[in-house]
Amino acid sequence: MRKTSLGLLGTLALLLGLATPSLAFEPVNVVHTEKVQAGPYDLTVGFSTWPVKAMQSLDFTFAPEDGIAGKSGVLSMSWNGELVDDGPLARHPRKRDVWGLDIQALPEPGTWTFTFAIDGPAGPATGELKNLQVMEQPGPPMGLSWAISTIPLFGLIALIVIAWRRTRNTVRT
Amino acid sequence: MDITAVAATSSTRAVPRGLVPASVVLGGTLLSLIGLTWDIQWHTDVGPDTFFTMPHLFLYAGSAISGLASLLVVLLTTADTKRAKAVDPVVGGRAVNVFGRAFAAPVGYLVSGTGAALFLVYGLWDQWWHGLYGFDAVIDSPPHIGLLLSISITMVGAVMIFAVARDQRWGVRGVAASAGTLLAFSMVTVLGLRALPGGPVNTVSAGSGFFSVMILFMGAYVLNRRGGALAVGVVVAVLQAVFWWFSPWATEVYANATGLPLRDYADGIPALPNMIPMSLLLVAVAVELLRNLPAWIPGAVGGVIITALAPVQRVLVQGSNFPNAERYLATVVAGAVLGALAGMLGRRFGQMLRHLAPAKEDRHA
Repeated sequence: MRKTSLGLLGTLALLLGLATPSLAFEPVNVVHTEKVQAGPYDLTVGFSTWPVKAMQSLDFTFAPEDGIAGKSGVLSMSWNGELVDDGPLARHPRKRDVWGLDIQALPEPGTWTFTFAIDGPAGPATGELKNLQVMEQPGPPMGLSWAISTIPLFGLIALIVIAWRRTRNTVRT
Repeated sequence: MDITAVAATSSTRAVPRGLVPASVVLGGTLLSLIGLTWDIQWHTDVGPDTFFTMPHLFLYAGSAISGLASLLVVLLTTADTKRAKAVDPVVGGRAVNVFGRAFAAPVGYLVSGTGAALFLVYGLWDQWWHGLYGFDAVIDSPPHIGLLLSISITMVGAVMIFAVARDQRWGVRGVAASAGTLLAFSMVTVLGLRALPGGPVNTVSAGSGFFSVMILFMGAYVLNRRGGALAVGVVVAVLQAVFWWFSPWATEVYANATGLPLRDYADGIPALPNMIPMSLLLVAVAVELLRNLPAWIPGAVGGVIITALAPVQRVLVQGSNFPNAERYLATVVAGAVLGALAGMLGRRFGQMLRHLAPAKEDRHA
């Protein structure tokens, strides 16, 4: 009994020991920055990978020089001049002292613009990160990725076709 | 593979034969659904991801449990066949030969087990994808849709397993439960339709209408009794209600336990439950009332109800804008056409599932 308990405890400890490093959430690692001037506010835009590629997700950080306390704002993202997404500037979940976007991808290659509308002690102001060049997506063409990923669907359809044919003469209509 | 009906043998036992493995497979699919609703809510309200988050473990455990139960049934059936023992087709349907005569697999468990095996393969594809594209939390990436389709195949297998035993009370309940689980789960898989060009049609709403109506009809025609569609609709409504409470609650508890904050501006709206049409009960009632009409008519009515009310649900729950008239009407028309098709297909699938069964045909008809 004692041996069993020790064995179970040992297994549990081993499992937890192995699992712990995998449970650790990755820190935000900024490898490239760009400066944006929004009126009186100096904003540093950080990227966790550079250059940015379409569909490849990364952490974005948006850090006003004197911190985010007492400030709020809205981020608008445009692609080739067309608004794609907008929303309030929120703290980065893994770097709470700055605003950011966690593990987010820009879906299309081309020229992106990030517009920051910031309100703070020095009043409202707007600034833009223009000409953010996003490169072509890495990896296989999407058509191929979708073809691979929908094999179970086509397998299911094949099963249905077989069952349909075999029951054709017996199913009452 | 021959999946036509075989002669019936039916017996009454204290512990009905086939109930235990069927329940384990169904339990596995429910774990998958719980993991999915929790995981989507986690990414919406909290964010950070690793391979070993608790919602992920539920997803892995769901497929593992269903897969291992299916494998065990296949191995036991194979052993019985090799010893020339009679195989009771009430356990998952008639056994079919796999890899020549290496295995004898009851067809329901063959399908559920294949789904679980595919889940493993698509897990590797997903790992490779994340290595290339990063650990984005995009639910409708190609590998994620592959994973969702794999789990759906296990859920289809579960419906088949219970359909075989539909002349017993546990079989009837199991069909309603497994079809309801498949329906709720499919409301996430249809997000993959965003990749299709739909013109003015909201492809996700139209797809939700199609799959809801089809699975509802399938369940109704397997059971082939008054109240069959309603039973599936009630199961979905119960799942929706429970997850409405569970998803944000579990997410907050888990965030607190791991010391992670909720996102700024997290609205706490239950994400997966809100993908399920609340109008489904209405559709189920319509199907019951119109059951004497050709299937395409209640099917079209169901498709219209779901696509017409989907934007109303989004407005009421999320405060979204109502779509413009062209998009709304185009989607409702698509819902009518797809609903009619889904009604006919679902009816036929239900009848096909009845042919898997060794049960006494039409006992409840």
